[in-house]
Amino acid sequence: MSDVILSLSHVDKFFGNPSVGVHAVQDFSMDVKRGEIIALLGSSGCGKTSTLRMIAGFESVSRGAIELNGRAIHTLPPAQRGVAMAFEGYALYPPLTVRDNIGFALRSAGTRDVAEQVTAVAKMLNIQDILDRYPSSISSGQQQRVSLARALIRKADLHLLDEPMGQLEPQLRTLLRGRIKHFMKAQGLSTILVTHDQTEAIALADRIAVMEGGILQQYDTAENIKNYPTNLFTGTFIGEPPMNVFNAAMRAHENRLQFHLNTETMLDYPANVFSDEVQSILRNVEQVIIGVRPYIVTRTQGQGLPVRVETNQWIGDQSLIITRLAEQTLVMIEHKQSTLRAGETITIELDPDHIHIFDAQNGKALVHGREHTS
Amino acid sequence: MPCLRLIDVDKSYKGEKILDRFNLQVNDGETLVIFGPSGGGKTVLLRMISGMIEPDAGRIMRDDDDITDLEPQYRNMGMAFQNFALFPHMTAFENIASPLRAHKKTNQEITTAVLSIAALLKIDHVLSHLPRALSNGQKQRTALARALVNAPSLLLLDDPLRNVDAKLRFEMRLELPRLLAQQGTTVIYVTQDYKEAMALADRIAVVRDGHIIQLANPQEIYHTPADVEVARLFGDPPINLFEIVPRKDNKTTLIDLAGHTIELKKAKAGLDRPCLLGLRPEVLSLAKKDTPRAIPITIEAKTPLNEKTVILAVTEQGQELLISRPSQEPDQVNERAYLTFEPEQALLFDQASGENLQNNLHQESSS
Amino acid sequence: MEHTSTLERVLRGIALGLVVTFFMFPILWIILMSFQTNETILRIPPSLVFEPTLDNYRALITGELKTQAASLKIDFMKNLGNSVLLSTVSVALALLLGMPAAYAFARYRFRGSEDIAFTLLSFRFAPPLLVLLPLSLYFQQIGLADTYLGLIWVYQLISLPLILWIVRSYFEDISPDIEHAYRIAGHSWFSTFRKIALPLAGPGIAAAGLLAFVFSWNNFIFALVLASADKQPVTVGALAFVTASGIQYGQIAASIVLSIAPTLALALYAQRYLVEGLSLGAVKG
Repeated sequence: MSDVILSLSHVDKFFGNPSVGVHAVQDFSMDVKRGEIIALLGSSGCGKTSTLRMIAGFESVSRGAIELNGRAIHTLPPAQRGVAMAFEGYALYPPLTVRDNIGFALRSAGTRDVAEQVTAVAKMLNIQDILDRYPSSISSGQQQRVSLARALIRKADLHLLDEPMGQLEPQLRTLLRGRIKHFMKAQGLSTILVTHDQTEAIALADRIAVMEGGILQQYDTAENIKNYPTNLFTGTFIGEPPMNVFNAAMRAHENRLQFHLNTETMLDYPANVFSDEVQSILRNVEQVIIGVRPYIVTRTQGQGLPVRVETNQWIGDQSLIITRLAEQTLVMIEHKQSTLRAGETITIELDPDHIHIFDAQNGKALVHGREHTS
Repeated sequence: MPCLRLIDVDKSYKGEKILDRFNLQVNDGETLVIFGPSGGGKTVLLRMISGMIEPDAGRIMRDDDDITDLEPQYRNMGMAFQNFALFPHMTAFENIASPLRAHKKTNQEITTAVLSIAALLKIDHVLSHLPRALSNGQKQRTALARALVNAPSLLLLDDPLRNVDAKLRFEMRLELPRLLAQQGTTVIYVTQDYKEAMALADRIAVVRDGHIIQLANPQEIYHTPADVEVARLFGDPPINLFEIVPRKDNKTTLIDLAGHTIELKKAKAGLDRPCLLGLRPEVLSLAKKDTPRAIPITIEAKTPLNEKTVILAVTEQGQELLISRPSQEPDQVNERAYLTFEPEQALLFDQASGENLQNNLHQESSS
Repeated sequence: MEHTSTLERVLRGIALGLVVTFFMFPILWIILMSFQTNETILRIPPSLVFEPTLDNYRALITGELKTQAASLKIDFMKNLGNSVLLSTVSVALALLLGMPAAYAFARYRFRGSEDIAFTLLSFRFAPPLLVLLPLSLYFQQIGLADTYLGLIWVYQLISLPLILWIVRSYFEDISPDIEHAYRIAGHSWFSTFRKIALPLAGPGIAAAGLLAFVFSWNNFIFALVLASADKQPVTVGALAFVTASGIQYGQIAASIVLSIAPTLALALYAQRYLVEGLSLGAVKG
């Protein structure tokens, strides 16, 4: 068990009276391994920030337990939990310079080489030139990096980062993501970061906890969430460009499985491309939602589904091709400048190995490719 | 055919020049994106075109009419704002109907027009709501509907996607071109997001310090940026820049990069002075094995980004660089790798002025 | 931990009760006084038990003030009417002048705009008595002394700066883009002011108007110096209760109740706006 640093078991959070108030976090259980980077991902109001604040100790735990490094911490005051945090609101000390803000906690802990460490982390975050300025005289993006530096430099059992890069320019973010990930791995920091940006989560985290409506939807690696989403929500939340989705009526024949997108268009596969188990699932449903990731849409010559190109958006190193398939939007991606023009009709193919099928009623994943969900 | 022309427009605020003898010509039916960092005068420019701000000097021409002193209500333009600027005390329906009411349309006409634009923007189910009851995405669509409803001949969009979250912004980026094409209007679109600029624009005007630095189609901006700043602004991950001093050897130009001597074919200018070599992350290739011209690197981190994998690496000299590969490509390398690139794909900039030296060369030879 | 214990709730109730009693006591006492005769009021020790009487109110409404010595004519209802007239008209005038001015100060930066706005505010700093002496001389010369017009004019010193500064900050809070959007939609400047700026600053205008009304209503010194008996508002009129034969506490109390009733009713009705306007003034004014 020593390899688990943090564990939340059956944690609930109510705001107000349990019967009428807001149930912000529901029966949340999660283990974080030592040295692991975890992202709590979701849109605003999904409960991710409440969860983070419960771990940090700024919010009480209504029910359940939190253990850090083998001891129950959910009743301790924040200062005794051994947790370092970078706040979304920065929370810098105005009378201290940037340098002192970053080094403050280290100095009070009596660390020796504070100056060297501050310089190193400042250099990593491109704030080495403003170390002697005061928080009020630097931009919000710089303040955010100072706050991040202050959290990263601390020695703590767990580092908590709340939207650590929300204020930064996209291109700077791309660079810093690489550096921060390298730093956290080199130092072996156990980290939980909260973000609404799936790009951030995928880039930095070893595992991602996708939350919605106070409930943990899926907790897995980015790769697994992408390839095996447990439901329509996680499937469409992760990935940019997002998964294409189509409503379809299922028609099962003796040796063919057909997905009717509308009266004219259908996906038609020989039944035997799917495993027996998948076939039996598909033969028992009527309405499904088909999820298709943009990168698995492949162009064919002649045969295949005809789609009409609506726009071709080239953004330097990728082309996003937006097409219409059965009156719905299908996006495909090419990693070069595509020559397709609006109005052209092309044919495409969807590899049954990579399509996702969800129950149209409850959004639960039924099938991923030829294999079964689990 | 020019639809709008700005001629030598000046504007200062508190003694600071925002626009300095600014000239711009917008063609009929095109989507012109004005791109640049904040504070570059983009917003002032749009407010001047719409008539809310008067220029200190210069003229604004619409077709052949001088509209510099024309009041905004007579300009027949549509505009959508970054902060939506919906009328908080009116329902979504009344917000959208406002331009029609100003033009004294009948109730019948108004209802028809509002319903049809609302259906197009998928907000027909929230028309009776007040703005505060709308989500950010719906607010944004309402603002767009209001700008479009009276079929203006010129549409001004002031960073309309800035205040909606990443997911919605992406969806709208895919949807907008079709919408704008359907309306067939001339569009001036202001943004700070290079992807929006490239995805939507027929032409992009890169504006900085009150000047247009470059005005060209997306392809030209990306492949032959006017200067190193433009090269840096377009592309995520951003372009890698290396400090070098090119030298002449027989007929070729040689550079020393990370301890290797590499031959540049195109570059003839910029000899014997400090230059920046620009290499876009996607033109870099990685190999497991060393080859004569390959540069050895250590991989520090791999971070996925929109179906790409961004690799942060350092050379033996400690120089950082970013490499991007499609995520679906099999991942072959770990930690140690060897970097190669096609010299033709490198860009060369003057270090002092930032100017693109290949561009310069191109112009010299053609004149 | 969020669940408040019973003890906590009880303590909170007691604390609130104490605060309310502390602030409301004078008003409560005056209301009680207004239903008593002078004798019961002046009892020592004072007692909460008495026989309520409507005599005080009757005296005020009929205008017959009976003392032990004699029966005296007072014109309280006339004073009340004057108060209503002076306050209403001066606030209406201040709104008419103040709203466009506030809009101009909020939206346009012209040479000296800050100075003019500040000068207007500084009228509130001047001790009224200092202004009054020269003013009363001028008023007598130009024939404005002892006229409603003259009083209303002087009342602008109270209401105009208040309205100007509160309404201005409300206009400033409206994003100019909202007005731009309305202009670009094809509406004129004036219709933008009427349909966008005024409705959106509505709460501020209501609050400023109410405050100006309360301040005008409570004014004492201007009317005391500049008007004679038949133009005076209740604040000055109350002096009549200090008679040769003693102070008529019961009638004073009743007149206070009658004179605060309109402003109190108005304030309770528009409490939300008032608090909003006051706190905004506290931050920005």
